[in-house]
Order: sequence, then C-alpha cells, then structure tokens
Amino acid sequence: MAHYAMLIDAARCTGCAACRVACQMQWQLPPEVFFNRLEFRESGKYPDVKQEIVPVQCMHCDNPPCATVCPTKATYKRADGLVLIDHDKCIGCKYCVVACPYDVRQMNDRGIPEKCRFCAGFIEKGEQPPCVSTCMNDVRVFGDLDDPNSEISKKMKEKPVYQLAAEKGTKPRVFYVKRGG
Amino acid sequence: MLTISRRTFLKAGALAGAACAVPAAFDFPSFVRGAAEQPVTKIPSTCNGCSTNCALWVYVKNGRLWKLEGDPKSMKNEGRLCARAYGVAADVYNPDRVTGPMKRTGEGQFSPISWEQAFTEIAGKLTKIIDKDTAGAVAWMAHGGKETYAQMLLDEIGAATYITHYSTCFTSKTNAWDKMVGNQLTSDINRARYMLFAGRNYAGGIMPGAMRKIMRAKDRGAKIVVVDPRLCELAKVADEWLPIRPGTDLAFFLGLAHTLISEKLYDEKFVKEYVFGFEEFWNANRYFTAEKAAEICDIPAAKIRAIARELAKNAPAAFLEPGYHGLHNHYAASTQIAQANVIVNALLGNFYKHGGLMPAAGPKFGKLTLPKRLQPEKGERADGAGVNNEYPTVETSRGIAQHMPDRIAAGKVKALFIYHFNPLRTAPDPEYQKKMVKADLVVSIPVDWNETSVHTAHYILPEHYYLERMDAPKSTGGNIAHDYPQAVMRFPALKPLHNTKHLLDILKGIAQAMKIDDLYPFTVEEEAAAMLKPLGATLDTMKDNGCLEVAEAVRPEFPVKDGKPALTTTTGKVEFSVGAFKLHGRMGVPVWTPPLVSPKAENEFRLIHGKQPWHSHSVTSNSPYLMAVSKSYNGSRMWMNRSRADKLGVRDGDTVTVEARIEHGGEARTVSKKVAVKVTEMLHPECVWVPSGYGNFSPRQKVGYQQGVNYNDFAPARVEPLSGGCMVQEVIVTVRKGG
Ligand code: SF4
Ligand code: SF4
Ligand code: SF4
Repeated sequence: MAHYAMLIDAARCTGCAACRVACQMQWQLPPEVFFNRLEFRESGKYPDVKQEIVPVQCMHCDNPPCATVCPTKATYKRADGLVLIDHDKCIGCKYCVVACPYDVRQMNDRGIPEKCRFCAGFIEKGEQPPCVSTCMNDVRVFGDLDDPNSEISKKMKEKPVYQLAAEKGTKPRVFYVKRGG
Repeated sequence: MLTISRRTFLKAGALAGAACAVPAAFDFPSFVRGAAEQPVTKIPSTCNGCSTNCALWVYVKNGRLWKLEGDPKSMKNEGRLCARAYGVAADVYNPDRVTGPMKRTGEGQFSPISWEQAFTEIAGKLTKIIDKDTAGAVAWMAHGGKETYAQMLLDEIGAATYITHYSTCFTSKTNAWDKMVGNQLTSDINRARYMLFAGRNYAGGIMPGAMRKIMRAKDRGAKIVVVDPRLCELAKVADEWLPIRPGTDLAFFLGLAHTLISEKLYDEKFVKEYVFGFEEFWNANRYFTAEKAAEICDIPAAKIRAIARELAKNAPAAFLEPGYHGLHNHYAASTQIAQANVIVNALLGNFYKHGGLMPAAGPKFGKLTLPKRLQPEKGERADGAGVNNEYPTVETSRGIAQHMPDRIAAGKVKALFIYHFNPLRTAPDPEYQKKMVKADLVVSIPVDWNETSVHTAHYILPEHYYLERMDAPKSTGGNIAHDYPQAVMRFPALKPLHNTKHLLDILKGIAQAMKIDDLYPFTVEEEAAAMLKPLGATLDTMKDNGCLEVAEAVRPEFPVKDGKPALTTTTGKVEFSVGAFKLHGRMGVPVWTPPLVSPKAENEFRLIHGKQPWHSHSVTSNSPYLMAVSKSYNGSRMWMNRSRADKLGVRDGDTVTVEARIEHGGEARTVSKKVAVKVTEMLHPECVWVPSGYGNFSPRQKVGYQQGVNYNDFAPARVEPLSGGCMVQEVIVTVRKGG
C-alpha cells in the first residue's frame, strides 16, 4: 500500500498561483473556490528586506482533527494517507472547518466544506497532481513515502524538513523544507 | 455564515492571507462522476495568455475544455504553465466575449450585423479611401509581430503602415540591438555561471522555461543578481537584490563598463577583433567612474565594481540580461540604456558564446508558392517610423502605436484596423487615444469587448478564440537561448462557440467584397503544410506530437565571412557608436542622460509599473480566475515604501488619491484616480509601483471593470525620437491620503 505525501520547498516559490488555477481546472472549481493558497510575508527594513511565500493546502493529517470531530464520519482517512469527504454523508455542520488548524476548508454552494483531495483518482494512475506538475520552480514534490526510491523519499532524506503546527499533534503528510536546508 | 478566525503560519501584520469566499457554483462531484466515464481528447496548441507562445496540450471532454498541460518539449515552458495560461483558456467561456460582428450605433452602442453586411460596408468605405488616392492612409495595428495575412492586403492596396504594440513595450532594446549588432541575442541561462538581471523579471512577466533554467542554474551554483527598484518575484529567489533608484540604470551600466575598461577586465581580444567605436565610447565616458555612477543610482561604488569584477571573472559564461519592457521603452534615455547593455556584454566578450549570449534558433520554414501579383508602389509610413523628417531611426518593422489620434487628425490615417490589440488600455493617455474614433473607418478584430473596440471601433469583427482555431506554425525562439530550433502550432480544440471567424476568413471576406480576386488562394491547413514540409513534418505529425524540435544545432560562432566579422551592421562588427543616432546634436555612443523628470516634494513620486505573475496586461484582467487571485492577495494595490507612507500618514490598505498633469498638443489636464495602497519595505522610496494588468474601463468587461488603476492613465502620449518608445515612467504623480 502506498502512503502518499507532499514536500514543499517554499524558498523556491515566486507566488505565481499556477498551482491554484491548475488545480481549479483539474477539479472544475469556480474562480472563488481554491484548494491551495499562498501566504506572503515580508520581513526586515528597506533595503535589507526579505520576502517569504508559503503554499498551504490540506495537510492530509495522519491524525486529522476534522475527521475526529465529524459526527457522521463524512470526513475519513484512507489507508493510502488521503483525507477525503463523502459528500452523501456530510450534514454541513462545519465542525471540520473550525477544527482544522490550517484553515484550508472552503464551503461549496451545497454547504459542504471542501478542500484539497490530493488528486484522488489521478494519483493512483501514476499522474502527478497539477499543483506539482505545473510549477515552474519545482516547489512541490508528491509521491509515495513507502517507496524508498520515490523522488519524495530521496528528497526527504537529503533535506531537513518540518511540518506546520506540528505541536498540535495532527501529523501532517505535507512536509516543508527547512529554510537554509 | 460562520466567521472563521484566520490562522497563518507566517506571523506578521502585513500578511495578506487568502480570503475564504463563498463560492457561486461548485459542482465537482457530478463533474468527477461524469468525467470518469467520458473519453478525453488531447489537442496541441500554444497559449495566448502572453506573447511567449508556450506549447500546451488541451484536454477536451464532452466537447468542453477540461484542462491544460504544458508540452515538456517546448523550450519556452518545459511542460510548465503559469496561472495566466489556465485563466485565459477558461475565458473561452467568458460571457464578455463579442459573439458576432457588430456595428457602432452610438457611443458605446453596437448592433449585431451579418458578416456579409460588415464585409460589404467595410469594403465600400475602404475602396472609397483608396480611390481618393489615399491608400497610404490605411493602417493596420496589431499586438504582435507581422500577421502575414494583413500584410498581404496592405501590399495589395499599397499601404505601408503596419504597426505593432512594441513602441509601448520594448522598441528601444530591439532598435539598439538591431543597429549595433544586427541581431537580437538571447541569454544562455543553461550554461551561465553569473547572471545579472536589470529590467527583466521572468517570474513576474513569466516565461516558465526561463524560470526553470534559472532555478536549475541556481541549483548548480550559478550566481543570480537582480537590479530592480522593487523586490520583484525574481529577486525573491536571487542571490542578491540591488534596489536601484528608478530611472538611473544607465548610470549603473556605464559604471560597470567603466570598471571593466579602467581595471582592464574586459575582453581585449574580442573588442579588438569585433568591436567598432570602442575609443569613441571610452572618450565620452572616461570620467564616468563607478563612484560617479553610485552618486546617481544609489548602488554603492564598491558594489558596482564588485559586480563588474564578478561578471569578468565568469565571462564569457556571464551576462547582463538584454532586458525588456520597463527599462527599454519607458525612459527618455531608454535607447542609450539599451546601448549600454550591448556594450557591457560586448566588453565581457560573451557574444555567440555558450553561457553568454547566443542567437535565437528558428526553424527554416517552407512557404506556399503563390502567384505573383501586380502591386502598387508604397508611399511613406503614416506613423512616421523611418520617415526622414519625422522618426528616421525608428524600426519600420515595429512602428509607432501611441500617437495614432494625432496622425488621424493630420489626415495621415483615414482607415484603421486594430487586430488583437487594445491601445486604449495599453498605450498612454486613454482619453487621448479615444480620439481614434474620428478616423473615417475603424475596424477592431478582438475576441472580447475591450476598451478600444467599445470606444473607437465602427465595426467589431470578432475572431475565433485561440482554442477554436488553427494557426500556422511558429518558431519558439527568442529571449532565452536553446540549442535547437523548435516549431509549435495551434490546432482547433473546441468548436467555435459564437458567430466568429478566423482572421484569414475575415480578410478573405473583406478582400472579396472589395472585388480583389484571389488575394488569399489558400487555407490555413495548406499554408501550415507548406511551412512544415522542409522540416519533414506534416499536420498529422504536429497534431500527434506537439512541439517539434529540429536537429540542426545553433553553434557558438561569431559570424565571419572571408576572415572578417560579418554581422549585418555596416562594419560587420558590434558598433558601440551608432551613426544613425547622431541626430540633433546627439552622440552615437551612450553617455549619462538624466531622466526627464524627477520627484522633489514630499508628496511626489515617480510612477513605475511592472508585471505581476497573475496578469499579462489588459488581455487577462477580465478573467474571473485570474481576478479572483488578485482579490485573494489584494493584487491591485499600488506599492509605496513604508517610510514615505508614514510621512503621508498612509497605512496599508488605505485609499489614496493619485494625480498627474498631462500635457498634450498645447492642452493640459489633471488626471486624478483613487487606489488602495500596499505599504511595503520592498520598494525604493522614490517611486510608487503599480502592477500593469489593472484599471479596465470597458463597462462590458464586468470582471475587470475599474479594478485598480493603470499606469497609462497618468502618462501623456509621447514619442521618444530615436526608437519610438513611449516614456511612460517619465511621470511624476502626487499622492494624498483619502479619496
Ligand atoms: S506554481 Fe509553484 S511558484 Fe507558482 S505559486 Fe505555486 S508553488 Fe509557487
Ligand atoms: S489539514 Fe485540515 S482538513 Fe486537512 S486533514 Fe488536516 S484537519 Fe483535516
Ligand atoms: S493535490 Fe490536487 S487537489 Fe490538492 S491542491 Fe494539488 S492539484 Fe489541488
């Protein structure tokens, strides 16, 4: 069984948002709904100033609070690591929206909180998620952590990584390359 | 609705987080269910989101566009696409497209007419103009390079004036390179060890293939230095960002040249063999030291010297990137800036060298053999480009786009065709540009209700969307070096949604109605097949494989004939001094020339602009997907340095009033606009910066309408005499808090 994960090297990101719009096309989302976002920050004083841009999306946590709080088990964790939503079971209570420490859920017009699906249905066929494959700067690497020869497994060994809000115990499956790493 | 508190991972006040908007429509489960069973076809095309021509595959399901994928073979994008590609593709379904031919019935008012009626009426008016012996007063304006179809009509009637948008973009650069080198060399990023970018931001004015090459170079240890008044997207991933005082890059380039020469770091052998006018340049600039440059441009002399030394140390696998839009058109001294760029590179001896500057590779396309036609002699160009007493050194292959209303008022232009071009939004001073409506005939050929169509067109003849049409093959060469020539081509992926036509059929219709027989005795398919033939390719092989690469490599060899340098310049050498520029007491070599205007008072700023990665220019700003990105990140705000904002009492997100005085033809007006401000440390204090894609004013473009401001609102329509540039960064605005 594969165990999918993503590695993001935010230092390479130049904020083009191709990842966002490519994902919107893949899933035929309307313009206002998007499964990944960018966080911009500047630090320092002119002319010694730096900019950071961090892409954020559903972390497909191994310990997903959104699934824990879901009264109907609409949000569930798949054996291959994906956190998905069964639309038929969702009652629109929005508990998951509040529970998610990463604020990645967006309400759709039918009252269902949506989010990144790790391109379920595509990755099993060996396809790369478009947020990965469209990026001119190779910010994201996606793959199977159970396969020691996958690009992500190799990269994770090369570079020190961290997880966002790891202290919350969510065990995210989206990893970030440490700055200077 | 539930209010969600924002949680961010970058803890800072200035953070612009994504807004959680409530979606209007969202139906992906049914889409996915449907999608699973539907067969998908993949059709090759080239993106129309900017002029890069990225090769891509269009995925079509149920006759509808599903998604795009970059073509990995294309050197311009290496399989990657930017946001604009997706947004512009999705715009095939934009409700603001023009759905059929239209005729003006009043200001901003149009009635649908038939294609036959449009052709007959346009042909009638055009024939009348030609019969009055004023065929020379017919002009064609287009965004891009020559559309051969329009050229054929102009040739047939004897009209000389084909104008591109380049005089509002980069003509100083192409003019300087053309006159000094006879060729436009491109940076060999793949092999360079040191890259200096000034006036080129490949991560904002995106070329995905250039960014891939830059990031790979960075990974293998090449050094990247970015000179820009703004910490632009490219500077974010560079080794070094050097904020320069806007408008003073010429001083910086001359300081580099001085260091290279005075410290004997330059390639003496190259200069001796291949350069003409070195002494003239050195005599004129002998005293313009790095120290002198530093006083002007805000980059310390030690830094200028250090960069020159590092460039020299890594030469010839080092370059000063030849640059683009901002520097090479928008200052009074833009031609000299471009000249100085050529000179710095030549001093490094990097011409026709791997890792330095290489010629662009272009496939040797075939041509349809068409019967010879009897063509009238052409007179002078109506825009003054290349005309003796007007703009003799402006390239006639580019023309001058920004002063059309004056040419119409002077009777030089009577009929105007505007193809895939929106000068009302992309050229300076839209109020002035609106006067184009006064020509005897104005025909716009767009896809959408752009400003130019709404305010000036007498007839609108909508073209098929790029996804709906076949276009003849194109070379991918230019801007960045690649060892092999490549050809890309568009195939129709979708059936036309509206009552639109291919440009070739529009021109066939007009020519036939003018009773010009058989001007276009071919189809696009036949033309494309003839072009591909010598490359050993057919329409079918192109359709199956997408981007085509030709095996014959570009060699790193300076052109030599009979043992002598053989560039197409007069001397065959790189000419540091351009004889043709010695007009009106000017020098043929570049010397420090200060900007035309400079800010002085506490509320005065130089207004500069540049690309943001989410928009190309007016063509993308009505895209719902791209404008949604802008909204998420407050993209339409005007940037201002924090220290200046503090003095004006302006805080991040505040609305300010921006004003400029516009003088033209003896009249003066004050333009006043309101815009929200982004207060930042990432900008030189002397300027304000606006992203170039905003400020649409066509009420028929509902998404982009009045979002942000546009730099062209504040600039008079001027013509830089040597290259025809529009000098739009020679503008001082005053800013005050509040509306
Ligand atoms: S596509 Fe890549 S560079 Fe562009 S915003 Fe996304 S992660 Fe950043
Ligand atoms: S990131 Fe949020 S939505 Fe995604 S699995 Fe974790 S808690 Fe759930
Ligand atoms: S993994 Fe797929 S669904 Fe998730 S952000 Fe990337 S493209 Fe979108």
